[in-house]
Amino acid sequence: MSRRILIIDDEDDIRQVAALSLETVAGWDVIVANCGAQGLERAAEHLPDAILLDVMMPGMDGPTTFRELRKNPVTAKIPVMLLTAKVQGPDQRRFADLGVEAVLLKPFDPLTLASQMEKVLGWT
Amino acid sequence: MTSAAPTQPQPMAAALARMWAKFLPEIDARLKILEESAGANPLSAEQQTAAHSAAHKLAGSLGMFGLHRGTELARQTELALAETPVAATQADLADWAAELRALIQAPNQ
Repeated sequence: MSRRILIIDDEDDIRQVAALSLETVAGWDVIVANCGAQGLERAAEHLPDAILLDVMMPGMDGPTTFRELRKNPVTAKIPVMLLTAKVQGPDQRRFADLGVEAVLLKPFDPLTLASQMEKVLGWT
Repeated sequence: MTSAAPTQPQPMAAALARMWAKFLPEIDARLKILEESAGANPLSAEQQTAAHSAAHKLAGSLGMFGLHRGTELARQTELALAETPVAATQADLADWAAELRALIQAPNQ
């Protein structure tokens, strides 16, 4: 079954490699947004099956974007995975406590990102 | 395709090589910020913030291209620059930046 994923990340290289990975390896449809505000719009417009959301972004950061997604009934149920380069335990626990599906670490392996997401989301 | 199994390593490798070439100027610019901060004496608060951000971005991206040692070095730099005063000597910062420079210039070696 094909999936539609929204990637929200302000860094071009991360966003494009993640998109390439999910499209090439898994054959999923990918929508991208380069900031939290654009991500909220695209999530409501495209209703993706899951969202990959960067933590550290200028303006609206990942946790704030996540809370806004949850406030909107249209996007409230979409599974969200945070993507972060912060590897320290306290940071990861703080992010996990937000109620996201998972906290995935950067750098990710482009060959296994999709299978990692499938496992987290129970899509296997 | 319904499975996300990594069954296409060659197309991915070729596509990643293209991405590497595309983003090399950006990666190089981030590394230059680290090199400049390593040579700054004294290091201003603005330079430290910019270098911390550059190191964070490098830590998050180099490993995607297979440069895992690069991610380690960038993360080490990021952690040192998160402290005030910086939790590394100028010589350490310069050594880490030099090793990063060598890795980025010869990613397949």
